[in-house]
Amino acid sequence: MSSNDANTSGVYRSGRQSSLMREPLTRLLGLAATAGYGVLIAWLFAHQPQSLTEVTGGLSATVGAYRIDQQAFDDGLRLFREDQFEAAVSAFERADAAKRDARTQFYIAYAYYRRGWSRFYEDDAWFTKGLETVNRAIALAPNGRIVVDDPELKMHTADELKAELEAGLRTDLADFNPFRVFGARK
Amino acid sequence: MTAAREALQLPILFLTVLLLGAIHVADRVALRPPSLFGLVMGVVLLGLLVRSGALAPERLMHATRSRLANLNGLTVIVSCVMAAAQAFTLVTPDFGLPRVLVSLFLLVLLLNTLAASPDRSRVLRSLLVILGATFTLKFVVLAALSGPADGRLARALQILFEGVTLGAVSQEAMHPSTGYLAFVTLVLFMVGLALLPGRQITRSIGGRSLAKIGAPRALPDPDLSEQR
Repeated sequence: MSSNDANTSGVYRSGRQSSLMREPLTRLLGLAATAGYGVLIAWLFAHQPQSLTEVTGGLSATVGAYRIDQQAFDDGLRLFREDQFEAAVSAFERADAAKRDARTQFYIAYAYYRRGWSRFYEDDAWFTKGLETVNRAIALAPNGRIVVDDPELKMHTADELKAELEAGLRTDLADFNPFRVFGARK
Repeated sequence: MTAAREALQLPILFLTVLLLGAIHVADRVALRPPSLFGLVMGVVLLGLLVRSGALAPERLMHATRSRLANLNGLTVIVSCVMAAAQAFTLVTPDFGLPRVLVSLFLLVLLLNTLAASPDRSRVLRSLLVILGATFTLKFVVLAALSGPADGRLARALQILFEGVTLGAVSQEAMHPSTGYLAFVTLVLFMVGLALLPGRQITRSIGGRSLAKIGAPRALPDPDLSEQR
């Protein structure tokens, strides 16, 4: 065998050895990537996000890194207290774009309740949205418990708000009581 | 087959099929996991692929392979079944009579193909026709019958058709992007199936052995002896 052949054979052998050494690493990386991708798909199926913001927000909430936009939340709260409920919902939604913060979702549901309430009837469309949102808030809260210490509110827990929204959506004899016009908004 | 293809490319490709096939765009975006029927069809398809030689499970999982390599092989098989389930779910209409008929049609066609014991290329061609036909039915024909009509005449014809079929054929209106996504998904699925490690056929000619992968069963040359 000439020295040239020996060199070529040596290069071939070292290339083959390097390839053999790389194979378990490739397999391990592949397994990790597949497992990660599979978990992500399962998470997407379970949470049904509607936008990329919800995807990133949901994933950061999973690792405890999600933060709402405090400025937008404060704006929403100010508008809520000024009875501008649709504008307040818009600001709250901007504050919690990924819909992962239970407190903000509670305020959105409350805004829907106040927007739908009137002395003569409850607007089912707003109340339905409110019920959906308060259910989402309850699902997001630890142990499903939400208590908001806001003196401006008459209902401080998600359970009270949910019961009020459900009562508003129900048609019963109380709806025909003429004295309901004296009832107060909560 | 290279380790990279087995460990990375194929599982990622099939999982992408699972994800893209789940996206349903209507008034809101929904991610629909494979249906139970789709899972059954996925398992039947796996049997068909193995029987036809389009997939050689022993090249993915075998006692002589390392534990890690076998795990990679398992992910390929599982992701392939999930992708197949998603592909069948995708081409099956969502409601009513078309759903029942297409489900039956798909099951009978797959069982018929299984009974015919075709080779790898014929199975892939047959699958392409099955998925292509059902895709056209759902995303072209039924979507046109169920989508919002452009003019008054079209709307009148739609109402007439709904009346004649007692509303059993109409489907939920979907965004056009759902159809394009479904098309890309099915193309990716077929690419994934074509990349699967097929049955290896070893032939010996005068003491020298030749290996051929994914070759058809019958060979015209009588001198070649086939060992499986």
